[in-house]
Amino acid sequence: MFAYPTVRTSFIFLAIAIAGLLVADIAITTANPWQDLGRLFWGIVTPNFFSTEGLLTALLRTVAFAFVGVALGSVCGFALSLVYRFLPVRMFCAFIRSIHELFWALIFLQFFGFHPLTGVLAIAIPYAGIFAKVYSEIFEESDPEPGRLLPPGTTAISAFLYTKIPDCWVQLRTYTAYRLECGMRSSAILGFVGLPTLGFYLESSFSQGLYSDAGAMLVLFYVLIATMPLWVRPKLLPAYVLAAPFFLGDGMPIIWGNVKRFFTEDIVPAPIRNGEGFIGLSEWMADVWVSEALPGIWNTVVLTQIALVATGILSLLAFPLISRHFGGPVRRTSGHIFLVIARSTPEYILAYILLQLWGPSMLPAVVALALHNGGIIGHLIGRQTNTIELRPDAPTGLSRYSWELLPRVYRSFLAFLFYRWEIIMRETAILGILGIYTLGFYVDSAIQNIRFDRAMVLILITALLNIGVDALGRYIRRKLALKTMPTC
Amino acid sequence: MSEVDFHGLTASFEGQRVIGPLSLHINEGEHIALVGKSGAGKSTLINVLYERLQQKASLIPQGLGLVNALPVFHNVFIGQLDQHPTWYNTLTLMRPFSKDKNAVKTLLDELSISEKLWIPAAALSGGQRQRVAIARSLYRQAPILLADEPISALDGPMAHAAMKLLTGRFATSIVALHDVEMALAYCDRIIGIQDGQIALDEPAANLVASDIASIY
Amino acid sequence: MAMKQLRKWLATGLISMFVFSAAQAETFIFTAIPDEDETKLVERFQGVADYLEEKLDVEVRYIPVKSYAAAVSAFRNNQVQLAWFGGLSGVQARRLVDGSEAIAQGVEDEAFETYFIANTETGIEPSDSLESLEEQLRGKTFTFGSKGSTSGRLMPEFYIRDTFDEAPDSVFSRVGFSGNHTRTLRLVEAGTYQVGALNFQVWEKELANGNIDTDAVQVIWKTPAYPDYQWTIRGDVNETFGEGFKDRVTNALLELDDPALLESFPRSGFIPASNDDYEPIRKTAVNIGILD
Repeated sequence: MFAYPTVRTSFIFLAIAIAGLLVADIAITTANPWQDLGRLFWGIVTPNFFSTEGLLTALLRTVAFAFVGVALGSVCGFALSLVYRFLPVRMFCAFIRSIHELFWALIFLQFFGFHPLTGVLAIAIPYAGIFAKVYSEIFEESDPEPGRLLPPGTTAISAFLYTKIPDCWVQLRTYTAYRLECGMRSSAILGFVGLPTLGFYLESSFSQGLYSDAGAMLVLFYVLIATMPLWVRPKLLPAYVLAAPFFLGDGMPIIWGNVKRFFTEDIVPAPIRNGEGFIGLSEWMADVWVSEALPGIWNTVVLTQIALVATGILSLLAFPLISRHFGGPVRRTSGHIFLVIARSTPEYILAYILLQLWGPSMLPAVVALALHNGGIIGHLIGRQTNTIELRPDAPTGLSRYSWELLPRVYRSFLAFLFYRWEIIMRETAILGILGIYTLGFYVDSAIQNIRFDRAMVLILITALLNIGVDALGRYIRRKLALKTMPTC
Repeated sequence: MSEVDFHGLTASFEGQRVIGPLSLHINEGEHIALVGKSGAGKSTLINVLYERLQQKASLIPQGLGLVNALPVFHNVFIGQLDQHPTWYNTLTLMRPFSKDKNAVKTLLDELSISEKLWIPAAALSGGQRQRVAIARSLYRQAPILLADEPISALDGPMAHAAMKLLTGRFATSIVALHDVEMALAYCDRIIGIQDGQIALDEPAANLVASDIASIY
Repeated sequence: MAMKQLRKWLATGLISMFVFSAAQAETFIFTAIPDEDETKLVERFQGVADYLEEKLDVEVRYIPVKSYAAAVSAFRNNQVQLAWFGGLSGVQARRLVDGSEAIAQGVEDEAFETYFIANTETGIEPSDSLESLEEQLRGKTFTFGSKGSTSGRLMPEFYIRDTFDEAPDSVFSRVGFSGNHTRTLRLVEAGTYQVGALNFQVWEKELANGNIDTDAVQVIWKTPAYPDYQWTIRGDVNETFGEGFKDRVTNALLELDDPALLESFPRSGFIPASNDDYEPIRKTAVNIGILD
């Protein structure tokens, strides 16, 4: 079995995760975790939809921010995809998408304050980077033949409009619609840093133990996501996009002097600002590295590796839940519901909830990341098994799982897992804001202490770490010849 | 154009020479049929000639190269994208001008397919698609036609009508055909291709169908 | 089908104009550090907004924020002109905004305290000196409040460092930041953390309201007094709202005597304050390295 490179790679990663578990801080520290969990479930089955009048407004804002952010991101991403073949553009896009929406929001909050633009740009910028990459991949895979037949002298724009766009239209639309769903999740969690979306009220309700209020918000959020195919119609989309900017709320006026100050003073490292020269700067840098960046990187990497393997294990356990090769319709329906909830709950919200219930350690983060990402991969693999035809005399039960299905889907399972590696790391870093000592913790601390120079250095380090893992993930996928489609 | 001379035409696929080296002289006004077994190198020769003739030729490749999501009108109109400014083309994509609509419709009438004007190419049958590709090549109004089995999916009368149109409208044409009767009926020069080399090059008037059979 | 949509999209245009109705320029906006549960803050400061609106004759609006830093940033960015800060956040804010002033503090804020609390299952007994608790505190889990809090972070961290000569994370086995005082109380009460430090006023108020299970959590040590919360106003308000506006705000705050409103803070009244009153806080912050 170890002759297969995919199996060898899997065991190497498993070993790294087990080693990570030995040094990681994994513990349940609350006295009564199960009692709280019970209260939470009770809250979800007894939702209180009338607690805050703000609830519907928050829902509306969540949708509005998602629409405007994703629309702007897709337009900019589209423009970037046209010039994506140039290396500087590719690097730029890799950079902007390696910074999480919440970090972008934290940056914009410092100079735009609570203006709607903060939330819009926090979604639009990283999404533009992702759109640019995926759109350009779609264009690359389009049929080159019609373009070859055009009369010479056809302008590039005409050629593009007549040959590329119609050919790619369906894929572009499908992917953009899929991203809109991701945008809803991003929009919801922006509330955690103070924007007027769902996360704002969710955080308030949870921290006060108002589980029925929080339950109502979660239920409404699931309904919103699950019914998207019903209300997001291609015909209505232009109307939504045009109307959405009017539903972002007032916020506060932008003062442009703040923008200038942020870029010319706030993020300039303190020693340079104070004229302490190169020696001051190197001491400052050394301090940031030793006391913040290195511990942050270490914890981020350890947590990412554990969460990656946990995600893999959960995906492999979860896909039979919706596979038609096992059991009856009741199990499949409940399996579907479980996976829908797991994957439509943003990992940030899952981690937040579990941290409240189990207390602070890496455990809630690992479980949250594994649930969310395992839900996504489990769903995709489960659907894939449904296209497999087994011979009539195929074994049943465990043998069917391990001898018939697993070998057939293992490669695409690994492809999805390595694709999500970078996503898991980006999320891991951001979970630090909740109090786990990953890079996000140190970024948040720097911002809380009004030290934006440090925050920016740490965000840059986080971005580089993500770009590195992304490159490594792609290298491994190429080495193992794994192909995948983008997920978010 | 006047006459064209090609020397040292070659093409390779995965390190294997597929055609050539061969030389070819084409006079203006000639209608040439390329005949030969499948795999002999006809399609490759057509493509190599297209590369060389870039500015002057209309091409109908075997795959037709239609944009599946676009309706028939636009798939034909695409042949004259270079004749109009970008804004005009963009507007046409949304709402065609009646001048162009009429021109394209007239052309499609001759191929008996004008009722499909607004149907996406993806929804057409193989024969209908071939007629759209023929219409596109005609619409482009280039002096030379390069076509690779352009009538393979058309029934008898329609195949004749199409060949008549193609050889009638293009001053010069080079058409790969597997139907020897058609080749003899509409072309004045027959070139037989065998293993990537020219095995036969005679005026059509000198040949009967059985003469060509030898290279199959 | 695809074509139809494509045409429609091209026609409609994807980019729409961003039209944001900016808040009116003459609205006087204030904020407060989120040191307690949200509903309590909104209730309290909505009352203050109504009161000020009546007294000042301008539109007054309170906006809630999610973190101490967000309050400081909003003040610095002139998106709010007045703020109810803690000692540390006030020092940070005034350092960043030239001409801004502390204008009023609560009567209790002259001599504020932090309570160290412990879950009773730890068996830690109350004491008058932190030093004598060293044996019992070592290796326990500990939570501060917000990272930017004076009573929930700055002062307790200062006394931990000062007493044990070590950083909090080497004294305790696990150190966390609960986010606010109410949550510190709940977390220690529930045993999520064994020990915590919080604003004494929040403790006293919750105790008086019967919201604390005194069998589960108790106060184990009280810090010496230090100055804390204050109202801070930007130096340029007179230019925007007219001559003498700063004095009118100050007087309005000093004259606030609605018992229900004061109870919600909870303060017995407001007294004048000055920037110099907070010099000890600034020195402490520099001392433990959270202020340059």
